[in-house]
Formats: sequence, structure tokens, C-alpha cells
Amino acid sequence: MATKVAEEWLNICGGCEVSILDIGEPLLDLLPALEFVHMPVLMDHKYHGQTGEGDSHKVEIPAADVGIISGGIRNEKEKLVAQEMRAKCKILISLGSCACFGGIPAMANMWTLDELYEKVYRDSKSTEKSPNPNKDLPPLTDRVYALDEVVKVDVHIPGCPPSPDMIKEALLCLLNGKPFVLPEKSVCDECPTKREKKAAGGQISRPLQGLAFKQNAAWEETRCFMEQGQLCLGPVTKSGCAGQTTEQGEVKVPRCIKGYMPCRGCFGPVKKGSNPLVDMMGALSSIGLNPQQVADRRAMLNRYVGGHGLLKPLPAKPAPIKK
Amino acid sequence: MSEAAVAETAQTDIQNPDPRIIAFCCNWCSYTGADLAGTSRLQYPPNARIVRVMCSGMVHPNLVIDALTKGADGVLICGCHPGDCHYIDGNCKAEKRAEAIRLMLEDFGLEQERFRLEWVSASEGPRFAQVMTEMTEAVKRLPPSPYKVG
Repeated sequence: MATKVAEEWLNICGGCEVSILDIGEPLLDLLPALEFVHMPVLMDHKYHGQTGEGDSHKVEIPAADVGIISGGIRNEKEKLVAQEMRAKCKILISLGSCACFGGIPAMANMWTLDELYEKVYRDSKSTEKSPNPNKDLPPLTDRVYALDEVVKVDVHIPGCPPSPDMIKEALLCLLNGKPFVLPEKSVCDECPTKREKKAAGGQISRPLQGLAFKQNAAWEETRCFMEQGQLCLGPVTKSGCAGQTTEQGEVKVPRCIKGYMPCRGCFGPVKKGSNPLVDMMGALSSIGLNPQQVADRRAMLNRYVGGHGLLKPLPAKPAPIKK
Repeated sequence: MSEAAVAETAQTDIQNPDPRIIAFCCNWCSYTGADLAGTSRLQYPPNARIVRVMCSGMVHPNLVIDALTKGADGVLICGCHPGDCHYIDGNCKAEKRAEAIRLMLEDFGLEQERFRLEWVSASEGPRFAQVMTEMTEAVKRLPPSPYKVG
């Protein structure tokens, strides 16, 4: 019997779904074992009965063995959908950094909801001032939530987007009844570049600026990007993007590094609960770079992990005592 | 201003009469300095909780930010004077990290006065007492930590 799969997208760009399709030919081998019962990106499936005959206050999703959710939670509708998915699916997978940690949208967690509305509908120069929209729209939640803050999640597949190989691997693990867990190692643990434990120069440069490398040269001859002054989030990011298995003679290289770009941190913190901002500032100063040169530190070093309370509005300064 | 008025203004300046301060003291200099302050019967405010560490260089920014975001009103790191480090350059590392910590105070919406890095040698009992007094006085003038629980 085919495994029933339900897929949902919440607060997301859709890249994770593209990544599922990007599995390519191996997907054809997987398909006979899978039956998609619900997938808004592919199928026109309504929440309240196909012609709207159902209860408009209740979301209905068909039961499935495996549920895949991409995207974090930004509004009440997404919360309902996530809860319904949890109720109807035996195993729930959070796919992509948004579902796992809040992702890019969770950078909004640096401000309160009122500040966001004010900026978007009234403060922005290119916008005609208007009141907050409130008709026929689900209200926003107070902040962006990662999926596992709202419902219990069984398997996490991080990445922005997750690599097709990894989705395939996770699905195969589930089909064969094996657990899919990423080891608690950092990207640097898997990175083959040459490290000398101190920075080459004192300056932090922007991506694409002054990175020295020879294309197709052996990785051992390429100097660590961070030591070259690039803001590479490797030390504070979970490994796994290089893939679990390699072909013979092939060197495992993290995906962004393979494209000669510094790591952006999309696999989230190495250990659950650690704070990449604090760890990264420590790492930068230990190898002799000037952490002051990091532009927009809070957002830059928490780019994908704003859920789980890692990005919060700054505490309000209490008014000074009157004398 | 009369003396009483001065005392009164000083009193109203205090926003947090009983701050909680975490002090990381290195085993070789500052902790021994604290010991000396104790055995010399020096008086200093009892607000600091001293944590003995092997070297100020092992106090990762993590520990400091963790303490501050879990409700400590101030954090003090004490190490050996530059050049005196038992591990040669641990305190220089601490100094570099302190810069990062000062930057991060902004990112967490905390005042600069909440963190201090000081050099106290094993023979500087009076200095230890003085640093403690200064730090406590400075933190008392700040409001309680915004991250304080309960």
C-alpha cells in the first residue's frame, strides 16, 4: 500500500516545494510508494469542502501517514492548518529553515506587530497611508513562530531551500522506518578548506569582495573563507548540507562553500538553544577579526533563526526617575 | 548643597538597591585577590556572586550574555594584568572578547555599565574591594535588568 503524504505551505516563498520537485529522477522511483492526498502547490484542494459546503470555521485536511509542512507560522489561519495537519498526520516533517527556525520572515520578530503595521502601512515613503487591513483576513500572530513552537514535529529538514538529496534521504529513511537525525556538528567540521586559526587580514569584507580562490584547485589549497575576512557562518551552523554520503574519491564540501560563497547559516544553530549571534561574535574576536565591522549584527547573524525567541524586540528602556 | 541633601540625591539615584552581579574571577590572580580582600577583612558590597574560572580567557561571550539575559544585573570579568597571565595570553583573549561583548550589549538592549572587565592581581585585595564597590554602585544606579524574572 502506498504511503499517504499531505503537504502544506505556510509562511513561505515556495522554494522548498521546488526543491521537492528538484529531487528529479529519484523522485520517479519514490512515487509508486507515495500517494499525495493533499498538496496545495500541486492540487486544488479546499479546506471547507470542495464547493465550500463544509464548516467555514473548521479546516479539513485528509488523513495521511506523512505530513510535510514548509514555512513558519505568521497568522491564525496558518496556526489552524498546522494543528489540523498534526491531528491528521502520523508523522510530521518540518521542511526548510522557515518551518524549522522561523527563517527569513522571522527577522520581523525584531519589532512588535504595531511597529510593523506602522512601517508597512503608514511610515514607508512609497506607500499611501492607510489603516491596517482587517476585513476577510486572518489576524497575524504576535510574532513569527517556528513550526515546532506550535505543534509537535517529528522530523526536521533544515535548509533554505533544503537540498533535494536530503529530502530524498529523509523520505527514504521514513519509508524504511529508520530515524533521520542530523549530527550535532558544525559546517566547519565538514569543510575541507585550509585553516590557520587566525585571520589573514583584519577587515571583514562583503560577500564577493576580495575572496581569493582558484577554481577547481584542491580544497586544501583554498584558505578558510572566514580567515580571509568573509562573514561565513560555518562555525555556528549545523552541518549536513554537504550530504551524508559521498562517492568514492569525492570530497565532502558544504554547498555554499562549493559555490565559493560563505555559509549563510540556513541549517540553524549547531545545538538546539544556542545563540548564533553570541557564538559568532565570540568566534570572530577569537580569530582576530573586528566584530564591530559586521553590518546589522542582529539580523545578519540570526538570519534564519528568528523563531524560538532568538530575535525579540529590544526591551523598552524605562523612563528615567524624576528628580 | 548641604550634606544631607547630597546624601538624599545619591539615594534617589539608586534605581535597583539590591542588584545581582556575577563576577568571573580567574583562579590565579583575581580569585586569590578576592581571597586576600576577605582575609584582610576589607568591606565591600555583598551583591556579587563570584564564579571561579581557570582563566579569564575561558569566559566565552556566551556565559556573559547568558547571565545577563537570564536576569543578572551586571557581569564582571576579573583577570590577571596583561603579561601576567598564567596561560600566557588568556587575558588578551578576554580583552578581545570583551569588545565583542560590549557590542552585543547593544544588540540585547542593555546598558554598557552592566559589563566590566578588570585586571586584579593576587596581591591587590584592596583593589578587588574597590572594583566590587564601584561596579555595585554603578549597577545600582541602573534600573533592574529588563530580563529579570520574578
